[in-house]
Amino acid sequence: MNNREPVISLKNVSKIFEGKRVLDDVSLDIFAAETFVIMGCSGSGKSTLLRLMTGAIKPDEGVVLIKGKDITRLGEPELDELKKAFGMTFQYSALLDSLSVEENVALPLREHTKLADEIINIIIKMKLSLVGLRGFEQYYPAQLSGGMRKRVGLARAIALDPDIVFYDEPTSGLDPVVSGIIDKLIKDLSVKLMITSVVVTHDMQSVFEIADRVAMIHKGKVIATGTLDEIKNSADPYVQQFIHGNPHGPIDFFKEDINMPQALGL
Amino acid sequence: MISDIGRSVIEYYGWIKRVISFFLDILYWTFVGPFKGKFSRRQNVVHQMSFVGLRSIAIVFFVDIFTGIVMAMQMAYQLEKMGAVIYVASLVAISLCRELSPVLTALVVAGRAGSSIAAELGTMKVTEQIEALETMAINPVRFLVVPRFLALLVMLPALTILGNLSGIFGGFIIGTTSLSINPDLYMQTTFNYLALKDIYSGLIKSVVFGMIIALISCYEGLHTKGGAEGVGKATTRSVVISFILIILTDCVLTTIFYFSQK
Repeated sequence: MNNREPVISLKNVSKIFEGKRVLDDVSLDIFAAETFVIMGCSGSGKSTLLRLMTGAIKPDEGVVLIKGKDITRLGEPELDELKKAFGMTFQYSALLDSLSVEENVALPLREHTKLADEIINIIIKMKLSLVGLRGFEQYYPAQLSGGMRKRVGLARAIALDPDIVFYDEPTSGLDPVVSGIIDKLIKDLSVKLMITSVVVTHDMQSVFEIADRVAMIHKGKVIATGTLDEIKNSADPYVQQFIHGNPHGPIDFFKEDINMPQALGL
Repeated sequence: MISDIGRSVIEYYGWIKRVISFFLDILYWTFVGPFKGKFSRRQNVVHQMSFVGLRSIAIVFFVDIFTGIVMAMQMAYQLEKMGAVIYVASLVAISLCRELSPVLTALVVAGRAGSSIAAELGTMKVTEQIEALETMAINPVRFLVVPRFLALLVMLPALTILGNLSGIFGGFIIGTTSLSINPDLYMQTTFNYLALKDIYSGLIKSVVFGMIIALISCYEGLHTKGGAEGVGKATTRSVVISFILIILTDCVLTTIFYFSQK
């Protein structure tokens, strides 16, 4: 797998927020048409990592290469051009609530292409049937359930037929059935349309379902990368604790310097 | 104590710098962007115009007509002593066109439309909608701010004209009824003393006020931090800052228009 050029490549990336190192010397390679999952606890820096890849924030150290271009050095017009080749879904779907489902999906098409309205309408119908939401064109985001909103977000993300789709917590807060539907959609898109998918999640069921390769982040560092099987069989105690959701282990939930019983006055 | 003062001075200095650069950004996307093929959607501009303008008509009408009425009554009380009640007409018209109508209309619109712009953009910011736009390579200033800016730039002067007319009408009601001035004479006195400069200086003011409202409410909205509480704070800040800036700018502009030649 490593003889191919990576589509996304992070080299020694660090990010500091208000004096705190959120990401520390992270290096990752993501290859074409694979589904790459970034997993880690809340606050481990995985969402920050995703935002670095989309160019929403710039790293303090290191470079982020997308299709061989260093996005930290691109000017706004070049970065915008590159952004049209990728889609993103958000944790809370981030649909524009003043626009209907149809208008939300049409937005990137209307803004970035000169397609006629009839063609845009056909594309909207195609994308919405891909996520199983035909017939909901005239609804507004507030009228939809969380899972439906996430699916509309997905339809919007793939409206311009991107080669890379970023997913921020695609299944968080959804019931198991809808989670399963979303997982299947992600898998289908990457297999049928050869889309490179980068998924940030801490939903282990979803990781086992969709991942080709996995990276685990803990406290801003990548502590393990590998194929799904490699991660499952990893001897790393952090990885084992995380994938089994074990409350006891090296990942400390409480700050070490706090003695809980004492702090509670027991 | 001194370090606190120092810190807030630095904070305000930084805020002013950021607002000015945001303003330049808006001007770029309003006037330069279209020549590079980056238009704001006409539909969005029309929608904002109807929100800012049409739906403020009633409140602007009532605020200004009652201001006209109150002014006519108060001035009549003073002018009666000099037997110059007829000048109520010109006094009401001039003070409305020069000062009261532009300022009151701007304050009303800042409270009504400015606050709602800040709340809307603030909610979009905290629910990642702004980030979603940026990820889709859609510039939020072009897509969200320019339509609101244009709408306020056009609609505030229009509302001010409406304010002028309703204020004069308010004065007219009092003048012709309780002060028993002949209606023809009232209108004649109004327009004899009302110079063109009185009207256009008021309209120039309202254009500037429109820019202030759009600038501040959009800036505060797009820089909202931290959930529902943040949206509330942004809304309050946008109204408070707009009010202060409107009054301050009014003072400066009045000086420029009427006291700089002396």
